[in-house]
Amino acid sequence: MIAEDAARFTLVITGAPYASQAPQTALHFARAAISGGHTIAQVFLYGDGVHLASNLTSPPSDETDWPAEWRAFLNEHQIPATCCIASALRRGLLDDSEARRYEKPASNVSAPYQVAGLGDWLAATQDSTRTLYFNGGQS
Amino acid sequence: MSRRYLFVIDRAPYGDWSGRETLDMALSAAAFDQSVALLFTGQGVHWLRGDQQPKRIEQKTVSRNLSAATIFGIEALYVTQAELDQLGSAVDPGLALSAVDTARDLENQFTDVVRL
Repeated sequence: MIAEDAARFTLVITGAPYASQAPQTALHFARAAISGGHTIAQVFLYGDGVHLASNLTSPPSDETDWPAEWRAFLNEHQIPATCCIASALRRGLLDDSEARRYEKPASNVSAPYQVAGLGDWLAATQDSTRTLYFNGGQS
Repeated sequence: MSRRYLFVIDRAPYGDWSGRETLDMALSAAAFDQSVALLFTGQGVHWLRGDQQPKRIEQKTVSRNLSAATIFGIEALYVTQAELDQLGSAVDPGLALSAVDTARDLENQFTDVVRL
């Protein structure tokens, strides 16, 4: 189905999985948008949202693995996704090259996520008809 | 369509990282020559207090970032007149603030309103 006024959305996720509902709400929105004929131009993880990019999350088997669900969704629809480098480094989310740069013993971020700066977020907002922010609860 | 970004800070400084990360986004957009402004509202108005001494909780003061904001291309620091009146003489005299009547009217002047 193609919507008459197809939109291009950028989704910014700032709430962490298992601490907030933000990743689930964003994923449900993204699935609905695509099935409605819209496009997700870019997913940008910022603040606590970078925890969604960890490929080491290991929830109990009777709980949904939200990072895995998101990775599968991004891969299936070939959606570019960026994990903000400043947010990620502070919180211990590193890809191979950052782990080498900072001489850390391990890395936990890999494709489909790029580790990059806020320039990706800004460019995505300008390439989209609308940017939506999925935040964690007010602390 | 050219974009205008308004970043809303509605939580007090130092209690969590959201305000700092909002400011980082604003500075980044300004560095890319976008039209950018900040709005302080609710508990966020405490960012505007003078004489902040966060050293004792091992944090860096946010005042310095704010006073540099306009140097780095942020066009205005907005606060509603009513909230500014409540702060009274506690407000940092070094900040150039722009008072508005309502947040809603201000938000309507921007294409992108970001509230983390």
